[in-house]
This record gives sequence, C-alpha cells and structure tokens, in this order.
Amino acid sequence: MIEIRNVSKWYGKFQVLTDCSSKVEKGEVVVVCGPSGSGKSTLIKCVNGLEPFLEGEILVNGTQVGDPKTDLPKLRSSVGMVFQHFELFPHMTVIENLTVGQVKVLGRTKEEARRKGADLLDRVGLKEFAGKHPGQLSGGQQQRVAIGRALAMDPICMLFDEPTSALDPEMIGEVLSVMQDLAREGMTMMVVTHEMGFARNVAHRVIFMDNGRIVEDTTKQEFFGTPRSERAQLFLSRILRH
Amino acid sequence: MNYHWNWGIYLEQIKGGGETYLSWLMTGLGWTVSVSLCSWAIALVLGFLIGTLRTAPSRRVARLCTAYVELFRNIPLLVQMFLWFFVVPEFLPHGLSMWVKQEMPAKEFLTASACLGLFTSARIAEQVRAGIQSLPAGQRHAGLAMGFTLPQTYRYVLLPLAFRIILPPLTSEFMNVFKNSSVAFAIGVLELTFQARQMQEDSEQGIETYLAVTLLYFICAFIANRGMSWIEKRTRIPGCIAAET
Ligand SMILES: Nc1ncnc2c1ncn2[C@@H]1O[C@H](COP(=O)(O)OP(=O)(O)OP(=O)(O)O)[C@@H](O)[C@H]1O
Ligand SMILES: [Mg+2]
Repeated sequence: MIEIRNVSKWYGKFQVLTDCSSKVEKGEVVVVCGPSGSGKSTLIKCVNGLEPFLEGEILVNGTQVGDPKTDLPKLRSSVGMVFQHFELFPHMTVIENLTVGQVKVLGRTKEEARRKGADLLDRVGLKEFAGKHPGQLSGGQQQRVAIGRALAMDPICMLFDEPTSALDPEMIGEVLSVMQDLAREGMTMMVVTHEMGFARNVAHRVIFMDNGRIVEDTTKQEFFGTPRSERAQLFLSRILRH
Repeated sequence: MNYHWNWGIYLEQIKGGGETYLSWLMTGLGWTVSVSLCSWAIALVLGFLIGTLRTAPSRRVARLCTAYVELFRNIPLLVQMFLWFFVVPEFLPHGLSMWVKQEMPAKEFLTASACLGLFTSARIAEQVRAGIQSLPAGQRHAGLAMGFTLPQTYRYVLLPLAFRIILPPLTSEFMNVFKNSSVAFAIGVLELTFQARQMQEDSEQGIETYLAVTLLYFICAFIANRGMSWIEKRTRIPGCIAAET
C-alpha cells in the first residue's frame, strides 16, 4: 500500500531524512517512533506529498508521490491525515468540516455528504456536536472530529502524526480507542506516536527513527522483545519508565 | 473675532440659480460616496488577488506583486491622481488617447475611482499577505491533505481565516477611502471638498461651510465603521477569540 524507497530530504544544507526505506502492507498498522527531531513528521508528510523530497521514491497504492505528473490532490484525497494540533477548520461547524471535502473534492451531493458525516460523527461519539464550532470542543473531541473528517473521504490508508501528544492525559484514551477500533477493522495505518500501549495493542510493526534514519524496522514482538540498536533500547527504557 | 455668523446659510438661495447651498453639499456628498464605494470595490478585488499571489509558490509572480504594492504605496496619492489624469492618457495609443481626453464619459469620476482604488488595493494587498502568512502552516497542510487543490485551499480555508484576522485594519482602510476621496477635487470631481471650496467662495461663510463638511465626512466614516463592525460580528467564529492557533 505504502512503499518508501531510499528517501532522502534536505532543508537547505541540513539533511532531515537519510536513505529511508520501508513498506506498509494493506491492512497493516505501523507505528513510527523516535526522539524529537528525528524526522518522523517529515517522513510521514512525504508520504502524501505535503513535503517534497529530493531523492528516492514513495509509492502509494502504486502511484508515484514524487512524480510531477501525479495528480497530488487526487492522491491526497484517498489518504487520510490526522495532525498533532487537529487542524480542524475553525470557521466551519463540525459537520461542515466533515462535508466540505466530500462535496468540493469528491463531488458528492450535500445530502449524501451530510448523511455520511453524521454517521461518522455518531461513530466517534460526537453526534450531538454537529452544529458546534471546533473552538467549542475539547481537545479530545476535536481530534475525534478530525479522524471523522479524514474518514469521510473514504481513505485507503490513514496517516497519524502524534495524534495524542497535544492532549491532556484524560483525553488520550478516547482518541486511542477510536484509533484502535479503526485498526481492528483492518484500516491501513501509519502512526507516529509515543503511545507504546497503542503499539503493543494493535501495531503489527514498529519503525524506530533517529537522526533522520530508520534505525529499526521490525515486528512488534521483536521491537518490544529485543530491539537491536542501543539507541532504541535507550529510547524504550526512557519512555517505559514514564 | 469679527465674524458674521449665519446658520441659515445652508438653505439660502444661491444668487443666479434656483439651488440652495445644501443641495451643493448633497451633490458633493453623493460624489464622495460614489467615488469611495467604487474605489473600495476595486481595492477589495485587486487587494485580495495581489495579496494572495504574494504568498503563492511562484517566486516571479510574488515579486511582481510586491513591486505593484511598493509602486502604489510609495507615491503620494495626490501625485497619483495627477499622473492618471494628465500623464497616463498621453502614453496611450493615439486613438484611445484622443477618446480619453475628449469623449470619455464621467472622465474625472472614473479616473478618481481607479486611482484611489489602485492606491488602496496596494495597502489591502499588504494586509492580506500578512494575514495569510500569520496563519499556522497546519491549516494549509490540512486543506491540502484533504485533497483540495492550492486554489481551493485558499478559497475555503486560508482566505476566510485571513479575512477575519485583517478585519480591524480593513475597517480603518475603508474609513480612509472616504477621507482620501477628498483628493479627487484636485482633478475636478464635484465631491464634498470641491463643493465646500465653492460654497465658501460664493457665500463667504467659511466656518459654517467647513463645519458642515466636517460633519458629513464624520458621518461617512462613522457609518463605514459601523458597517464593518456588523460584518465583524456576523463572521465571528464561536469558541474562538481570533483564528485558532
Ligand atoms: N521547515 C523546516 N525548515 C528547516 N528545518 C526543519 C523544518 N521542519 C523541520 N525541520 C527540522 O527537521 C528535523 C526533523 O523534524 P521533524 O518535525 O520531522 O521531527 P519529529 O521527529 O517529528 O520531531 P517531534 O517529535 O518533535 O515532532 C528537526 O531537526 C527540525 O528542526
Ligand atoms: Mg513531529
């Protein structure tokens, strides 16, 4: 579903990504972790072309992301993305956030979009908030709306960039549970997170990044059993102690 | 002070014509409002267009738009008025030049509106650019990630947010348009300032004249201000102070 081959990227002279390669199969849940500044966000933003990369190639469902001939908006509409800071459109109501893409990008009718949006709001447990604005919701609620907004486009896979790290501790659970349901239903997911509980529960594989490199790319069992790199061991021991 | 007050002057018949001074002032007010609104429409359309393009990916287009803004911001409005009225027609192709000089209808009005519109558009463009650039990059990413094209991202996400952010400076810009429209008297538009000078010379009641004119300008600016506050209230986002962080 997602293939990353030898991707390198620079910000000016600074190399953010060095020769990154990995693969996410259909139905697979891959957790990406690593210390701050290691390039996790950058890598995941390369997958749907929000960040350009200089070297290597990324294929999503067989389509080259880096090819200038690729219809990027079309490709992005089939890849759901959830951000650390939610990034709901603050000037639209919750239901408008869920319908605007369906109508303007997928060409669905307003009623169709509304029905789909209402179903998804119900699914993330926020049916009664349809007419509210994002600013009137708690962080956890906003993030659940954001997941619903991404799902409204019927994505073939989902990207998450630290979806819970801006949340108060008591709201993390509600968001993780929506994500776990998604994972169990067989959604293909690439998730940047430090929630090792989530990784243990639903991930199939774990990618560990450091300094712009993919240092480990193993099954969950291996990663939590005996991560091979010292850096990953150190990282794990730090994270698990909290 | 040896001034002869005459508060009835506004309703007095003007020597030789069937008009009152009040009707002069009202004609002036009409032209002031017309020039202002016309300029404002031009300024909004061009200002948002140029301001948006200044944040667009094409470096060359952005630089061209920056040059536009600098050009119109850095020449005094009065000089621009004369340039458009006296100089620009000379550089048009001969036929067009003759037509503009001799036959163009409402020449003064159109020139003044275009001039003030372009001048103001440069200022609005600057505000629009700053407004868009003040938005967090996440909003642009969220729009694009949803599958919006770049123009759609601007249309549905960035511009509606930037518009709300720049409403306060836009309000003072709208009020400025009314005040700046007085410069149009220099090329012979019969707006308030022009009528005021005429009335003063004709009636020799300078104080009454300019008090009335001051009041009329004040009312224009006040209504403009109220109108913008109304828009500000209507577009306020529930649950947000300004745009979201
Ligand atoms: N626009 C940019 N220009 C220059 N450098 C950047 C830019 N964006 C990110 N970087 C740098 O690239 C590196 C990787 O950033 P990235 O955001 O991908 O890290 P991350 O692993 O997601 O970290 P975090 O856990 O803090 O989110 C960092 O050192 C960062 O300072
Ligand atoms: Mg990050």
